[in-house]
Order: sequence, then C-alpha cells, then structure tokens
Amino acid sequence: MLVLKATRNDRRHGRRLGFLRSSGVTSVGRGGLISPSAARWHGRVTGRGAAITSLVSLLMTVWLASGATAGAASAGPLGQVQATVDAILVVLKDHQQEAQARRAAIRKLVHGRFDFRAMSQGTLATHWRKVSEAERDQFVELFADLLEASYMAKIETYTDERIEYVKERIDGAKATVDTRIVTQSVEIPIQYKLVDRAGDWRVYDVAIEDVSLVRNYRSTYGEILRRDGFDGLLEQMRTKLAELKKPAEDSGP
Amino acid sequence: MRDLLLGLALLLTLSTQGSLAIAEETTAVGGAEASGVAAVEAGDGNEVDADLDADLFGEPELVVADPFEGMNRAVFAFNDKLYFYVLKPVARVFRIVPEPVRVSVGNFFSNLAAPVRVVNNTLQGKIGPAGGELMRFIVNSTVGIGGLFDPATRYAAIPKSNEDFGQTLGRYGIGSGPYLVLPLVGPSSARDGVGWAVDLFLDPLPYLTSGVEYWAAKGTSTVNTVSLDKDTYEGIKRDALDPYLFVRNAYAQHRTGKIER
Repeated sequence: MLVLKATRNDRRHGRRLGFLRSSGVTSVGRGGLISPSAARWHGRVTGRGAAITSLVSLLMTVWLASGATAGAASAGPLGQVQATVDAILVVLKDHQQEAQARRAAIRKLVHGRFDFRAMSQGTLATHWRKVSEAERDQFVELFADLLEASYMAKIETYTDERIEYVKERIDGAKATVDTRIVTQSVEIPIQYKLVDRAGDWRVYDVAIEDVSLVRNYRSTYGEILRRDGFDGLLEQMRTKLAELKKPAEDSGP
Repeated sequence: MRDLLLGLALLLTLSTQGSLAIAEETTAVGGAEASGVAAVEAGDGNEVDADLDADLFGEPELVVADPFEGMNRAVFAFNDKLYFYVLKPVARVFRIVPEPVRVSVGNFFSNLAAPVRVVNNTLQGKIGPAGGELMRFIVNSTVGIGGLFDPATRYAAIPKSNEDFGQTLGRYGIGSGPYLVLPLVGPSSARDGVGWAVDLFLDPLPYLTSGVEYWAAKGTSTVNTVSLDKDTYEGIKRDALDPYLFVRNAYAQHRTGKIER
C-alpha cells in the first residue's frame, strides 16, 4: 500500500517510477540503484516518522532493485536502457573481479541489449541483400568484435561522470531514448534508437552528438566496399581487429 | 567593394551547388526496393523487421561531395603530423596546469566569443536564444569574474545556443558545398569555411589585442582545448578503418544536426 502511493517528494525529485510511466528528467547520479536524490530525501525526513519513511524507502529500494535486475518487461525503453547501464556500472565498480571476468560480464550485458545483426544490416544497407548468408554471419561477428574492441576501453575509463536520462519517445515498435553524460568541461548528448522485440527493447543505433554510429559506419564502409569489394572490407576489418587486440601501445604518429 | 562582389559570387555558387553537394538517394527508390525485396527476403530467415526496414535500408545516405579528395587527404595528413609533433606535446606539457584552471581558461575564451553567437542567433531569427546568449555573457562576465566561471549554466540554467555563420548560411538553405580540410582548422566545407572567415570579423579578440598578443591568445586557447580533450583524435585513428572517411562523415552529420537545432 505504502509503496504504491507516489509521494510529493518523489515527484519533486523527478524519480521515475515505472508504474507511473512518466518520462520527465531523471538524474540518476553515480550509478548504483539508489540515486543521491533518494538518499537526500531519505535523510531529510529521518527526523519525522523515521520508522515509516525508512520502511517506505526500503520497500521502494527492493521494488526498484527487482525491477531493474529483472529487466522488467513493464519498463519502457528508457527503463531498460537505464537498467543495462546501471548493471554495467555495477560491474565496473566491482574491483574484486579480474579484468577478464569484468569484460566477459560487460560483454554479456551489452549483447543482451544491443542488436548487432540489425546494426550490421544498417551498416551494409543495400549491400546486405547482395551477399550470402555465410558472409553476413562473418560480417556480423567481425562488426560486433570491432565495436567491442573499440568501445570496451572507453567504457572502462568511466570515472563517475553523471549520466542523465532526459526523455524517451515511443513510436509504435520503435523508440528513441535521449541521455546525457555530464563531465567537468562538457556535456555529451547520447541518443539510443531501439526496436521492440516482444517487450524486449534492443538498441540498433547510437547517436553521439548527432553523429549516428550506423550512418557513419555505413558511409565509411560503403566507400571501402566501392573501392575494395566485400572481401576487401572483411580483410581490412580482420586486420584492424588484430591491431586492436595487440597490447595497447602509446598511440603516436 | 571587389571583395564584397567576390564574396557574393562565392555565395551564389554555393547555393546552386547546394542541391548537388548533399545528394540523397530518393526515399522513393529506396523504399520501393526495400518493401519489394522484403517480401522475398522474409522467407530466407533474414529476420528484417518491417519496422526497421525503412530505417536501415530506406534512409537516405548522407553522401558528402568530395571532389578535392586528393588534396583534402594531403591536408588531413599534414594536420595529423602537426597534431602529433607540435600540438599534442605542447598540450601535454600544459596539463601541468590543474584542470579547474584550464576549464576556467576555456570558459574565458568561450565567453569572449559571445558576440559571434548573439549575432548569428539573431540572424537566424532565434531571438530567444540570442537573448539567452547575451544574458550568459553578462552573467558570466560579472558574476563569473570576467568569464572564468560559468554561473549562467550552473546556477541560472540559461541554455547555450552555439551558432556560427556557417550554420546561419545553412539555415538559409545554402548547401555545404564541397568538403574541405583546412590546414590547422581541420574538417570544414566551402560554406563553413566562408562562415569561419566571416566570424573572424565578429570575434572581439582581434579588436582587443594585436599582432603577437593575438596569436599568443589564439595559441593558448587552442592548446588549452587540446589539453582538456581526452584523446578523441587518437581514438578515431585507432578504431576507424579509414580515419579520413570517418571524420568526413562525422563532420557532415554533426553540422547537419547543429543546423537543424
């Protein structure tokens, strides 16, 4: 009973409660399942009716936790993206695990949220129909590996930047989720495009500062396809993958 | 007078070339092909969503006109060497200065460039944002102690509206023209190059300083920005199959996004 009532404080802090299906600004704070605003709210009312309010916050935490980890089908695209990001942040902060185990865990989370086949289709565009099924599978695998090799290092450099979930927009089976990473000196808007696969929202494109990943790769790979053909493209991807997998050297001229 | 005529001629050339510069595969063709073939494809386990079909296959490809590719690649390589041999080493040394100070330096130069933003917002008819940028300038120059701090964002939450003359021209329908890589400046286009030149007149720095001081200030601003950057260019070089193509496309997408906003 207590949990189902959205209190004034919750709305003031813009905390997104799934069953309300609102989509206002939500500041998540530094990852984890309890945002700083929730902690502040909790602290502020401790003096008054402390027992009840702490019970409420405990129940809400449990409710939110179960919602996030279950990747609740009731949560919309924003909720599901947030759940995945939160889960990744939890893994990043777990210094007990080895780097390899952490990477494996992150890889699993990413593959669960991203649809690499759709991204590959978007990247190859009209060429997708011209190649065989085996070649498509090769491309999807190489593409996913390349993206992982490129972005895993970047994910691992995350150090407490604030991630804000600004809004979501649902249009039938497609949705866009706008987020923002706020650092000391800059704010970087990141937009996810998702498709609804039976309640499970999967990402098929990411736009960082208006630059869509899929469109950019489509343009670059399209040029390479025109120049060197599909086999040439696969060859260059393999070479680049081998380069990236070598132990990191100081990048120079 | 002659320069004015030359500039006008250039603008006219750009506006006619605009339609050629960014070629879009007509959605009609792409859509027809997509839906026609999708019916056939459905049977071969291709799993192409009807919903995504238009997105993934029908979306017009942003083709950037690059007739000067040879020259552009040469300048790109030059800028690359300049970055690694000159700019980056100096910026690395500059990192001795604590980050908050460097952020303040960045704020200072950004604040100083306010007239560029106010004028261009007004030219685009965006009076609200123009007023906002003016407010930001006033607040940051006074409360923010000469622009070193940014209370306008932190406390007053006045939104930024970063406009330049290239975007103004874009708003008025002038196409970007051929892709150009400018020495030192980096990726640009015929339109944005003109825009950059015009903005030089709006920038207060040449009026406040002169000669050596001006170049010293410009140099400091550039080195400062690079020192705050977290290896963006190195990342691009490392990850992209062809960094030149990556930058060319990313630049085009970024500018289109900025103009539309």
